[in-house]
Amino acid sequence: MPPGGTPTPARTSATVAVLAVLAVLVALPLLRLAQVVWQDGDGDVLRVIGSDGLGTAARNTVVLASGVTLAAVPIGVAMALVLRRPDLPGRAFWRAAVLLPVVVPDFVLGYSWTQAYARAGFTDTLLGLSWAGLLGPLGVWLVLVVNAAPLVYLVVAVGLAARAEPDLERAARVSGAGSVTVLRTITLRLSLPAVSAAAVLVFVLTLGTFAIPQVLGAPAGFSTVTTRIYADLSIGGDPGSFLEAVTLALLLVLVAVACVAPTDAFLGPRLRASRPADAQGTPSSPERRAVRRAEAAGLAGYLFLTVALPLAALLLSSVTGALGVPPTPGNWTVDHFRQVLTPRTVEALGRSVGLAGIAATLLVGLGGLVAVVESRRAGRATASLITLTLVLPGSTLAVALLMTYGRWLSGTLTLILLAYLAKLWAFAHRPIAGALDRLPPDELRAARVSGAGALTAVRTVALRPLAPALLGAWLICFLTALHEVTMSSLLYGPGSETLAVVVLNSEELGRKGPTAALSVVLALLVVGPALVLWCVLDRLRTRRAGPPTVRAGGIAHVG
Amino acid sequence: MSAEPAVEVADLVVQYAGAMVLRGVSLRVQPGEVLALLGPSGSGKSTLLHTVAGFLAPSAGTVRLGGRTVAGNGRPLPPERRDLAVVFQNYALWPHLSALDTVAYPARRRGAGRAQARREALAIMERLRIAHLADRRPAELSGGEQQRVGLARALARRPSVYLFDEPTAHLDTHVRGVFLEELLARRRDTGAAAVYATHDAEEALGLADRVALLRDGQLVQVGTPQQVYDEPVDLFAARLTGPASVIDAPDGSGTLLVRPGWARLGGPVEAELRGVWFRGPHSDHLVRSPLGELLIREAGAPRHQVGARVGWTLVHGWPLAGPDG
Repeated sequence: MPPGGTPTPARTSATVAVLAVLAVLVALPLLRLAQVVWQDGDGDVLRVIGSDGLGTAARNTVVLASGVTLAAVPIGVAMALVLRRPDLPGRAFWRAAVLLPVVVPDFVLGYSWTQAYARAGFTDTLLGLSWAGLLGPLGVWLVLVVNAAPLVYLVVAVGLAARAEPDLERAARVSGAGSVTVLRTITLRLSLPAVSAAAVLVFVLTLGTFAIPQVLGAPAGFSTVTTRIYADLSIGGDPGSFLEAVTLALLLVLVAVACVAPTDAFLGPRLRASRPADAQGTPSSPERRAVRRAEAAGLAGYLFLTVALPLAALLLSSVTGALGVPPTPGNWTVDHFRQVLTPRTVEALGRSVGLAGIAATLLVGLGGLVAVVESRRAGRATASLITLTLVLPGSTLAVALLMTYGRWLSGTLTLILLAYLAKLWAFAHRPIAGALDRLPPDELRAARVSGAGALTAVRTVALRPLAPALLGAWLICFLTALHEVTMSSLLYGPGSETLAVVVLNSEELGRKGPTAALSVVLALLVVGPALVLWCVLDRLRTRRAGPPTVRAGGIAHVG
Repeated sequence: MSAEPAVEVADLVVQYAGAMVLRGVSLRVQPGEVLALLGPSGSGKSTLLHTVAGFLAPSAGTVRLGGRTVAGNGRPLPPERRDLAVVFQNYALWPHLSALDTVAYPARRRGAGRAQARREALAIMERLRIAHLADRRPAELSGGEQQRVGLARALARRPSVYLFDEPTAHLDTHVRGVFLEELLARRRDTGAAAVYATHDAEEALGLADRVALLRDGQLVQVGTPQQVYDEPVDLFAARLTGPASVIDAPDGSGTLLVRPGWARLGGPVEAELRGVWFRGPHSDHLVRSPLGELLIREAGAPRHQVGARVGWTLVHGWPLAGPDG
């Protein structure tokens, strides 16, 4: 973190700027939301809350979020433990592969599962096996678990790298603990804050998730709060359903904040107090190779069934001529692609890429601003507020922005851009703040005492090491904005559809082949930047670990 | 105590991340003996200790503890089943456990109940005079206190072999003295063998029964502290074990190692004084003579100015072998 705790005019104005943007993007819209519910609701609010459908949706949402958390956390923790082993065969590949379910847009993942396992899907055509439960609560749950597990893995892996140093486990081994006991008494205990944080994150994100319940749950009549908001707003013109949507949006954010605020206050300091992540873990002791091979095989099987097969099925149905035709090379055609790549789609694609690019650029600026402000005590609170926007459900944010600025901006790309800025701010802030934290303060001080001014010091000394983090933050925002469908599906108007919205609409019209083709286009669009992101992060990692310091025979050169 | 060596490594080769870190090391440590591993950083000291402890598997060679082969004969025995304890350079205290529970950990793993293990731990901590730290977490302890808790944890293991991996590297000089004193006292009590890795010559010579000099993953010399100090096999060994000057032998037979105490001022050989350093108990004088430059140590404060012409006498020299010398 940059040195100097004294408030300078520049810092103070930065704080004011951050708070102003926060007010415009988040606080004002949320207040407006509450105001509408309060004013227009009168006695209706209670009736709305008491209504059957809404109660079911709310219960479904909470049960679903709990179920997903319970299943995704153990899977993610297991992934983190297995992938930490440097002697895992093919480790570099697996570390990238497990992230695929979050890189692929969530509705593409959900849709690909229907192409793989539902009736008339891949396994049905080939083996006569299909799973009727996929379209319904169980299917929604399972695909959400697959989607959420990599997030748990990421959070826990960082926690493990920062806290569970190999020497701590070695000390336990040499004190007489077997590998299972070490896992129980040391490794898992040390990663407990990270595991809890991951659990809260998954729970809250699942509360606000939309695409997978919409794709897999809605056709079977399984509704959650988010899909209900979408349904309510699609009806249009009905004041009753509009009020219901607004009430649900408010309810969702209240639940989310009630979950996150206490855990952030409790876990935040524990996670921050941990030592900076050092070199990737070396093995605490050599284990049997057969165990590693079995672990790699398990990982491969899991990823094959949950990601590889569905995506392959998606690709096949995008190139297979008609429904029910076996997906053999003889029946392959590019008709679907020709059919969907209309000027309208291409325009939507251009809009998506442009919007994501602008949003990412602005977000990196905002994220950097907060990271600089954060080094002041008052800035810590600002940073916490921004972290809260991460868990602000997209549906709520969209409804709130629509009500506050809809009068002027309804159906425009600007409104969608505002929603992205509000929602993704934390995504940009976290990596930049992390990189600033890792920057040794002495490096900036050394530049200052060597005659560099404050700005020159940052430009000459800090910018180079920060560059990968800035690029990483930009790519994360770009990717997320590219996939985003929860908010854009509520906010788009004629002439402002994003590609994701086009895919969702096509899916709702039941156009199987074209939807698959569009999904493939979107997935490819996302995988490119994701690969770049992976390389950037990899570079960050090796830089932090530093070159191996072998200074053999150093003394021999003395004298 | 068995007649077998407490630690015996033979032809040990260890590769790490593709590089060969140990290239054929053979060593024996007898029961009750302290062996110091002295070498510059990167010489393989830690790797050797980690292989003995079972954190690394050797790619060739064997490790035997008390006559029992623990590595090099099929699957290596895991660390928890080797009869040894390790004191780590960075302390390796678990951040989620109090000092008392940290020291009680080995007893718990032996199967002792929580109360019993804590009683034992407290007894050990009392002997080390750190019982007042029992309730503290590592974050609330100074470096010296952390390392004494680390030592207490090792003692609680009651092993036949202690491995010390540069335990004083991160300690201030005076804390280091206190820690080493404690270490020596405890070791006399237990009578266990110890391998002590360090890059500090004074520490190694003062502490060990025998010293092993390590360079680039190979042993250069093994001997008593006197042997490695007085009769180093080459210039590397000489410089590693203390201040060393190299001059031409007066009889022209080659080069000669001269330790600072092996020559004194005053005498027949003419020289110019190039530098004088007052060090407290003694003063160092760097003199340039026709035979070469050498350092002479005299008790008390300096008696000459830089640039003065002085005479000196060679008391003792050790002929250095090899082109390196």
